[in-house]
Amino acid sequence: MRTGDGRAAHAVSTPLPGGYAGRAITHAPAWGGLVAWDLLFNGISTGLFLVAAICEIAAPRVFASAAGVAYAVALGFLVVDLAALVFDLGDPLRFHHMLRVVKPGSPMSVGTWCLTLYSLPLTVAAAIGVLPGEWTSLDAVRHIAIIVGLPFALGSAVYKGVLLSTSAQPGWKDARWLGGYLTSSAIALGCAGMLFLSLMMGEERATAALRLALGILVTVTLIPLGLLVADVRPALAQAYRARELSGLAAACLGGGTLLPLYLLVAGKTTSVLVVGALCVALAGLAIRFAIVRLPHASA
Amino acid sequence: MASREVEVAELPQRSEPPSGPLSDIARRLVDPFRTVSPPESRPATGFFTDTTVCIGCKACEVACKEWNLLPADGLHWSGNSYDNTGALSATSWRHVKFIEQLGEPTPAASVAAPKTPLTSSPAFSLQRLLHEPKDGRWLMMSDVCKHCVAAPCQQACPTGALIHNEFENVFIQPDICNGCSSCVSACPFGVVTRSSLDGHSHKCTLCYDRQRDGLVPACAKACPTQSIQFGPIDELRERARARVHELHRRGVTEAYLYGDVPTASYSELNSFYLLVDRPAVYGLPDDPVNPWLSMKGDYVRAIGSGLAAIAALLAALWLGGI
Repeated sequence: MRTGDGRAAHAVSTPLPGGYAGRAITHAPAWGGLVAWDLLFNGISTGLFLVAAICEIAAPRVFASAAGVAYAVALGFLVVDLAALVFDLGDPLRFHHMLRVVKPGSPMSVGTWCLTLYSLPLTVAAAIGVLPGEWTSLDAVRHIAIIVGLPFALGSAVYKGVLLSTSAQPGWKDARWLGGYLTSSAIALGCAGMLFLSLMMGEERATAALRLALGILVTVTLIPLGLLVADVRPALAQAYRARELSGLAAACLGGGTLLPLYLLVAGKTTSVLVVGALCVALAGLAIRFAIVRLPHASA
Repeated sequence: MASREVEVAELPQRSEPPSGPLSDIARRLVDPFRTVSPPESRPATGFFTDTTVCIGCKACEVACKEWNLLPADGLHWSGNSYDNTGALSATSWRHVKFIEQLGEPTPAASVAAPKTPLTSSPAFSLQRLLHEPKDGRWLMMSDVCKHCVAAPCQQACPTGALIHNEFENVFIQPDICNGCSSCVSACPFGVVTRSSLDGHSHKCTLCYDRQRDGLVPACAKACPTQSIQFGPIDELRERARARVHELHRRGVTEAYLYGDVPTASYSELNSFYLLVDRPAVYGLPDDPVNPWLSMKGDYVRAIGSGLAAIAALLAALWLGGI
């Protein structure tokens, strides 16, 4: 355990011939609950934009109205996410120092620039999306903004996992599939968000298509999640008790996959489907908290 | 002759920069983006720490704190030998470690009390003390930033605050760091730490200010046994290898250098060590790994998973008849 300065809290211990062997060497960064929320909001924002954009490009007549709202919602989540990122800094008033350099070798620099470049077309798309009907002449601009935003949204979703896995921290350093899981999960979260909006707006064709899509995406996300768990199994076993791990597994598989799948297949009412979409988000949050806690729990 | 005092305010002043809240905000926004040409490159310098001659006096810790004006950490009895510093931190850039490799303590009852005081015995002598059988040893090591040639902390830093300076030392520019903690997360040696006082990351600067003035870093200057040696890195590496040969010749066959040469997974260190036990015993990673070795693969897996999910979404739309 460490204090704010990273100094080891001084518990009485007996000197051993093994010296410092077996003690934690690395310092866990002061990234806590705010980062878990940041991971979730980043996933929802980027995923919602990606899913809305792809759906709108693929079938504009079915998804255009829901997508128009989705961009505004994605922007809202992005603003909250950026606020979490800024307040997590040691010196929030220096947040703009992130833009001093472009450093492809630093995942955080890549993420900063991707988020910046993603926020611009997202803002344009969101602004035009909520304009009254007589502004349809700006639709071409909105489409260009959506297409320009796609790679940066994907980059913003991708960098998070790589940022954590490119580290020396217990658990994270072995998590080769963390980026894979978070990206796949972001798209599933985005689909859940898009389904929620379609339900609220009474878009029946969009709802039907997104129910199937969410079911497939929730299942597909199990692949990188399984690979991630295989990567970090020793760290998980060290960081969490068996009961905690069982609870987490139940939350992931039961609450985050099987229950939503059942609700998506069998759900007849809007509220049941909304619960299914919320389950996906809550399970995603639980997994993100478990990931963020790994170095702290292992120390 | 009486000296004449001159008030500073009476001296000719250069024009003051504008002050006020707006100017402060403007300065905060603009100053970090100003660049100057970097200083001319100088021969790389570093530390060679010979742990076999460290006596655990902690003069290096004290000198470092004094020179760098680092606050005291308070006194906490750790129970771990004489190590009450605990770890390197934002306010402790040197940390002397103590390892007691002693045999099982002899039960008090079995120790026969000497009939006469030891010092009055005719057999007592320094030679006798030096040659009496020993059933253990103390290991001591002054730990510090390793100033890695390929430093993960420097690679991680998104603000450009962490640089290799003209002496090839890893240096945090305190006016640039915004406390994002990427460097803390990346360091495999647990060196860089974010301060709870100012929110910025801190670590050993290898006394950059002293080096620029042609001085030896404070810790090396204070070390009474030359356990901490400072100088041009090539010279230090030669000196260290010679020392290992000398120790081997004298029967200390377990002596070896840690961080002297690059490994398959990590660069050489510009602050390297002579050790006589496993690195882990000294609180060093046995086989440090640069996290950046896996970064490209991680990106490929993340992008691949994202594209697979997008393909699944499109497939679902197609299956749904859209």
